[in-house]
Amino acid sequence: MNLNNGQSLNVGGQDFTKNGGNSSRAPWEDARTVLRPSTPTRKPKSPKPENAITIAVSSRVLFNMEKEQQIYEQQGMEEYIKYQVEHETEPFSPGPAFSFVKALEAVNAKLRELYPESEELFDVVLMTNNHANVGLRLINTINHHQLFIERFCMTGGNSPIGYLKAYHTNLYLSADPVKVREALAEGIAAAIMFTPEKMKEVSDTQLRVAFDGDAVLFSDESERICKAHGLDKFFEHEKAHENKPLDHGPLKGFLEVLGKLQKKFYGKGQRMDCPIRTYLVTARSAASSGTRALKTLRSWGLEIDEALFLAGAPKGPMLEKIRPHIFFDDQMFHVEGAAEMGTVACHVPYGIAQRVVKKGTKDKETPNASK
Amino acid sequence: MVSTDQKTDVKEKEADCPVVVAVTSHAVFESGGAEDPDGLYVGGIAFPLLQALQKVNERLLKENPAESLLFDVIVITTESQQQQQSSRITESIRHHGLKVSRFCFSNEEDFIENLLNNNVHLFLTTNRNEALQGSQKGVLSVLLDEHTASCPTEQLRVLFCGDAVVQSEAGPALASKQAAQSFSAQIGKMRGRFGLFDSPISIALVTSRGGRESCGDALRTLRSLGVNADEAYCLAGVPRGPIKRLLRPHFLLSECFSSN
Repeated sequence: MNLNNGQSLNVGGQDFTKNGGNSSRAPWEDARTVLRPSTPTRKPKSPKPENAITIAVSSRVLFNMEKEQQIYEQQGMEEYIKYQVEHETEPFSPGPAFSFVKALEAVNAKLRELYPESEELFDVVLMTNNHANVGLRLINTINHHQLFIERFCMTGGNSPIGYLKAYHTNLYLSADPVKVREALAEGIAAAIMFTPEKMKEVSDTQLRVAFDGDAVLFSDESERICKAHGLDKFFEHEKAHENKPLDHGPLKGFLEVLGKLQKKFYGKGQRMDCPIRTYLVTARSAASSGTRALKTLRSWGLEIDEALFLAGAPKGPMLEKIRPHIFFDDQMFHVEGAAEMGTVACHVPYGIAQRVVKKGTKDKETPNASK
Repeated sequence: MVSTDQKTDVKEKEADCPVVVAVTSHAVFESGGAEDPDGLYVGGIAFPLLQALQKVNERLLKENPAESLLFDVIVITTESQQQQQSSRITESIRHHGLKVSRFCFSNEEDFIENLLNNNVHLFLTTNRNEALQGSQKGVLSVLLDEHTASCPTEQLRVLFCGDAVVQSEAGPALASKQAAQSFSAQIGKMRGRFGLFDSPISIALVTSRGGRESCGDALRTLRSLGVNADEAYCLAGVPRGPIKRLLRPHFLLSECFSSN
């Protein structure tokens, strides 16, 4: 399953398919695509929410809806809906979360092989504020890309929070900062996903998830010290408290469920080439403050496959080498740096860092803005 | 206040006839006939629903003072004890400021006949047996759910259940499928009188068991009836309860999708 085959990474009007660079239309638009009929193979049953690892994604991160977004901004909601309905049989092209979702499905396929009776699988739910009129186009698109998404909520403008809870959501990804903040406030792991200019190719055999440490996996307590008293105080403090585990951050739970699934592969002898790989990409340094991070993880009984201590160096280049399907950081500086180099990066708006950042976070109005 | 003129209109302009909704007095007022200090009945389960219907009418008339596609609300008694409380019922209705166009003081024997004679498009009751009887005679009968119908809200919230599994518990509704479809078309038309935002009616669709295809089919079915849902939820096995509580529908319709 080669992710780049014929799929347009269609950002900023530039077409990256073999079709040629002039046309800004993807192949299926050219052919007035006849939708591929859904495969007649037996569809696996969706797992019970309490057993599954539920990943809720919004429509704008799963698919590329830039054109439609523009129509909404320039011409309003009615025109937006009209356009969507008129183009109902034209599938959207993939968005930044697409390769992540495909990787989740690949892991599921392997889990099903090894544990056919188990419901401990990823379950991807489409959680969108879109009006139900856009529903058929979204369903048609899911069919076209042969995604295993059987559950969705189209809330028509109402808050998704209650539904996130009803689906026992383990992780919520959206382009809307307001909803993500709301989810975090309710204790649901959530992040704002950004679209890189050019998405780097990622593995289709191994799901790779990269996390920042402070204020993502861990609480922001150390970051507070750093901001208040500077780096030296921070190193001092961390050394002094090396053996005291940090408090947990909003994405600790997600790392935990990934670890649970990893153990299932280890149990079947697949440790060396486990289909899930996790990374810690932190500005902490290996020489000093990194120890506390590792000890904290150990105290939680969690493993991380690779810990990269950058000692303050930019994260972009390192991530470009790792090629994660998704990267979480609480600081926009790192998120932007990662996206610039082609990594799908998500902002976790949690902790002290949020009060410092003033620029670049104005919420753009979207067709899915809460009423 | 329904004059006979409107009845002929019904035959001529089918599309714009009023939507006749009959609600049992048991549903409108608290069961057990609880009274307030003035000896009037206290509002029950269907009370917020009636207020929502009223609000829809007000907004429809605001858009178009000559609007004829309005809710025509009838309060009906379905058993003799209530039948005898006619003045208290009318007083209570008036006291609570509800606009009811007609009262039918019937009992268990003849209430069905009254439903038919009054060309009722939707019969709402809290009594399972009554709902069953209504269905069997081809009247779209919906059992009001204690937990959801009574949620006060600014909007009339209608929930379509697109799965065979979620067929209303009122039992087999063969004859009322057509009634359901035409009622749904009327609701769809009413919804269409308003824009996307700030509508006094909101329509949601839920499919419980099937995957996205069954929800897609349900959306298409609704569309063919002229109904554009505002919200759509495909549960594919997720427990319905929490979702229903979030949706707070005033009532549920499922007969449009029955396989018969």
